[in-house]
This record gives sequence, C-alpha cells and structure tokens, in this order.
Amino acid sequence: MLVVKDLTKSFSSASGNVTALDKVNLTVQTGEFASIIGKSGSGKSTLLSMLGALDIPTSGSIEVDGVDIAKLSAAKQTAYRAKKIGFVFQHYNLIPNLTALENVMLALEFGGMPSKKRKARATQLLTDVGLEADEQLRKPPRLSGGQQQRVSIARALANHPAIILADEPTGNLDSETGKKIFDLLHRLSRSEKTTILAVTHDMDIAGKTDRTFKLKDGKITV
Amino acid sequence: MNVVSRGIKNALRSPLRSGAIVLMLAVSIGLILSMLVARSGIDAQIKKDQAGTGITIRPAGIMDFSGGGTPLTSTQLATITKTDHIASTSATLSDQLGTTDTNLTSAIDFGSFGLRQQRFDSSSSTATSTSMTTPNTSPADSSTTRSARTPHITVSGTTDPNSISTDGSKLNITKGATIDGNSSDLIALVGSDLATKNSLSVGSTFTAYGSTITVKGIYNTGNKAQDSGIIMPLTTVQSLTSQTGSITSVNATVDSSSNVNSVVSALKTSLGSTADITSQAEQAATSVASLKSIASLALAGVIGATIAGAVIVLLAMIMVVRERRREIGVIKAIGGSSRKVIGQFVAEALTLTVIGSIIGLALGVAISGPMTTSLVSSSTSSSVTSTNGRPFGGPGGMFQGGFNQVNKNLTAVQSTLTPTIFVSAVGITLLIAIVGAAVPAWFISKIRPAEVLRTE
Repeated sequence: MLVVKDLTKSFSSASGNVTALDKVNLTVQTGEFASIIGKSGSGKSTLLSMLGALDIPTSGSIEVDGVDIAKLSAAKQTAYRAKKIGFVFQHYNLIPNLTALENVMLALEFGGMPSKKRKARATQLLTDVGLEADEQLRKPPRLSGGQQQRVSIARALANHPAIILADEPTGNLDSETGKKIFDLLHRLSRSEKTTILAVTHDMDIAGKTDRTFKLKDGKITV
Repeated sequence: MNVVSRGIKNALRSPLRSGAIVLMLAVSIGLILSMLVARSGIDAQIKKDQAGTGITIRPAGIMDFSGGGTPLTSTQLATITKTDHIASTSATLSDQLGTTDTNLTSAIDFGSFGLRQQRFDSSSSTATSTSMTTPNTSPADSSTTRSARTPHITVSGTTDPNSISTDGSKLNITKGATIDGNSSDLIALVGSDLATKNSLSVGSTFTAYGSTITVKGIYNTGNKAQDSGIIMPLTTVQSLTSQTGSITSVNATVDSSSNVNSVVSALKTSLGSTADITSQAEQAATSVASLKSIASLALAGVIGATIAGAVIVLLAMIMVVRERRREIGVIKAIGGSSRKVIGQFVAEALTLTVIGSIIGLALGVAISGPMTTSLVSSSTSSSVTSTNGRPFGGPGGMFQGGFNQVNKNLTAVQSTLTPTIFVSAVGITLLIAIVGAAVPAWFISKIRPAEVLRTE
C-alpha cells in the first residue's frame, strides 16, 4: 500500500520560490491501477519523482508498505529504486548501445539477481510483453516506439516491483499502439498484482483506470 | 554483462572519437616513457662520472711540455702518498729525446702545426740553451741543421706503465711483456709506431742518453702520439737524465668517490702553490652540469607529458559524461548505485588508456633511444669545443682530459628501459585514467536523477 501524507516540494528559482507540490495526500491500494491527470506544470512529474525516490520532498512523507522512503539514506534509496520501483518513461530511456535483452538484464543486475539467472528471466519478460526473439537482440534505435516501450515495461517489471511509476507511457505513441501498451500495463497489474501509478493527460486512458487523481497547481482536486 | 564489460563496450561506442583520444594518449605516453628512459640513462651517466676517483697532480705551471716550472720532488710524492684516503699513486717523469740523445728516429712528422710550434725554439734557442736542465734540444745545433730536425721522442719514466694508457685502462702490450715500473734497469716499452719506424722488436736495443736500452715489449694505444713514445721505469729515467727524485706527474686514486673533494683540498693545503691538482670528478663537472640540465629537462618533459595526458583524459571524459548525463540518470533511476556509475566510466577510460598505453609504449620504446642520444649530443657539443683546446698530446695519464670525458659521456648514455621505468610509466598512465574518469563521473553521480531526467 502506498500512502502519501502532506507531501510538499518547493524549488527556489530565479523568480522566487515555486511550490510544485502543496500538501498532497493520497492512498493507493496494492494491485490498484491509478492514474494522475493534470495540465503540464501541475506537478505530476514532480510527484512521480518523489514517489520513485528520484528527488527528496521538502516536507511530508511517502510510505510504501509502511516504510517512509523520504527518510531513507542514499544507499537505501538506490536499493528501493532497484527492487521496489519500476519506471516507465515517456521517452523509454533505454540504454542505446545495449540490446533489448541487455537493457532488461541491467535492471536485473541492479536488483541483485545472480548473473547466471538473468538471461532466462529477461528473455521471459520480453516474451511476456510481446517481443520476438530476434527483436530482443536488437538495440533500441532499431526498434519501433511501441517495441521500445514494451522493453521499458519489461525492464520496469524485472525485479517484481511493488509499484510501477509510468510517466506518460503512451505519450510518444500513436493512439493504437498507446492503447496496446495501456492494455499491457493493465493486464500486468492484474496478473502480477503490481500497483501502477500512471501520469497521463489522455482522458480515455484515465477513465479506464481503477482510480484517477487530478492535480492542479500542485494540489489534488479530486 | 557487468560494470567492466559495459565500460569496455562504451569505450568502443564512438570509434572515431575513441581513436582520436587513444592517439593523443599514445603520443603523451610515448613521451612520458622516452623522457623517463632518457632521464634514467642520464642519471646513470652522472653517477658514473661523479664516481671517478682519480686525481692528477702536476707541478705548478707545467702542462705537458709547455709552460715552465719545477718538477715535484720525492718528498712531495711521499706527502701525497701519505695523505688520508689515497689508495694508490703512480708517478711519472716525462722527458723528450732529441736527435743527439738517441739513435732512434721519431715516428711523427712535424706537419704544419708542429713546424709552427718550432718557431719559438729557433728564435729562443740560443737564449735558453745554456740554462736548460734537460737536454731535450741540442744547443749545438745550428740554424742550418734545424730545418732537417725531426720531432722529439717522448720518454715517460713511470712507476706504473698502465698509467700511460690513454683511457685509464690497462696498457695494451702487443709483443713481449710489460716492465716493472719500480726497477732501475735499462729496459723500455716502445710504442708500436716508433718500433716500426726503427725496426725494433722485443730484445733489440737502442741508445738513449748515452746508454744502451733493451726493448722488453711493444705497446699499442691507438693514439699516434702515444705510440711514438717510450716507457721506462721511473728511476731509470731519473738517473739517466740526472733528475733524481723529480716527478712531472702523479696519478693518485682515492679510496671512495665521496672522499675526492676532501683529498683534493688536503693536497692543496699540503702542496701549496707548487702543484696543480685536478680530479676526474672536477674534469667531469662541466659535462655533468650539462647532463644535469638535460636530466631536469627530461623531468620537465615527463611532468609536461603527464599533465597533457591527464588533461586529454579529463576533457574527453568530461565530454563523454556530459553527453551521457541522461543515461546516468536512467541508470540511477532503475537502481544503479553511484559506485556502479563511476566504475563504468573508469572502466571506459581505462580501456581507452590501455589501448593508448600499448601504442604509446611501443612508440616510446622506438623513440627513446634516438631521443636520448640526440638530447645528449646536441647539448654537449657546445662543451666539447671548450674542452677541446689541448692540441699536442703529452705523455702518460694526461690524456684523461675533459675531451675524453665528454666523449665518454656521449657514448655511454645508454637509454635503458628497465622494468622500474616501465612500471612507473604504466602506473602514471593508469592513475591519469582513473582520476580523469572518476572526477567527472563522481560529479554527475552526485546529481539527483530527477534533475537529469527532467531536461527532456
């Protein structure tokens, strides 16, 4: 279960202090598929960064299965990202000179899986997300956007994370491919019992999730 | 796939850029190596030069057969021998045989140089002939017979025939046997040129100073002036020339090179102004000074090349790390630790450096020999001209002058590639690579991944 309490994040910029998140409170049950919608600049990506321990909140707490990740040491946060969190980015963010298989194996390495078992697990994951055997050995530049996003989903799932954080996972894809990717995430949340929190501005997609949070000016409005 | 193999793979990601970095590194590593080699070669030579333990003591004012002065006495020789730290001495009395002193003919022609030097003798012969103590020219000669003169034959009376050898090593006896320098017999070693000219062989006799001398051996030094001379026991020459106790040169050996300076100053005190004292170390000082400046130049070269190499790696890695900011952010976002990020970049830099090192070391081995030689010869050629001003080679021991010293330095600086040099060159290089990669990677790994990922 994910519990966010009074989460605040402010940045100091040239034009003064900017509050990106203002006392956000939300709770997502384990295995739930939740979406966060909002205009650009509403603080969606900042919220996701906080949840993924990519950034430190100014105040407030983020509890994942009873542990406040904001208070973890840097090393523990790294371990948290490796084992508890799976990231899916809008721009896929695969390592360009590694094959699809190696990209997934990289996440398994960080998750602490013994090197001998990584290849089999990575192959299984890529097959699950629908990548053919020959596509698995290609480097990202030789894969389509949809295929790259599948690889990135496989990478996010690699270490059986508690939460998958998806930042506009379909934002760079055509609507048909986007729908397929969404269906894939949806199916995985059911089969793997993984909590998924997806940021989107596609109302169609948001409407199909278990729950939708609306962010406006750094505050949850729904 | 681990940190190291990812680093190696990344190093080959952009072949053109990696090639350029490797090439620049290779040049700087080649330079580091050749400079280290040059430096150690020069250092070894300096040590060798400074280790010279020989001291030459001559009567004040006498240089070969020029100048004037009073020979050293046996009392002074005793003083020298008794001086602390002097291990051994050999004494020499040099003389010249004129045409009336001997039945031998000199093996040397005057030539234009010799003739020019004779003008002093012809103009001053009448004035000096009466006061001459050594009958090396005949006062009775008239100016008409002077034109038919031949050069004098050098006679070295010595306690140690080996001290006559030009290069300080053992005298090379080609026929017969060497003589005992402490004997007082009428025996002699004859230079090969003189022997040929006068058809002398072992056992033959010749006349000198009105006595019959027996040839005991023929020697060859490869030096024409030397090989036209005669070596006899010191006492024999002293008695034949009525100069009992007189000595024109003493070669002393000091027990350790560190004592040379103290011995020289002790001798200067005890002998006062009656003697000129030169040590091998002193003679070597000029060339050592120039060698030292090359050594420091080589050190500057090492430092310069090291800095250049370090800057190349640092700039290259800063460029690479900046380019992969986003990738670093992703690696951290999916759970890669800062240590893994740094490790990966260090592995990448090391790969480039190792390839660069292999090429650079090969380059260094190829150029270090010629470079050392050219460094040494170009800088010592100037000092050669300054020490080269001794035209006529005198007798025994005095050949070991500055010219020989510099010449020896030139040939003896051998660029040696020792394992120590190899290891230090490789060590310096690897240090450069590790620091060059770790510093930028460390800075970037401190950045929170959110900042990196936000810049889309």
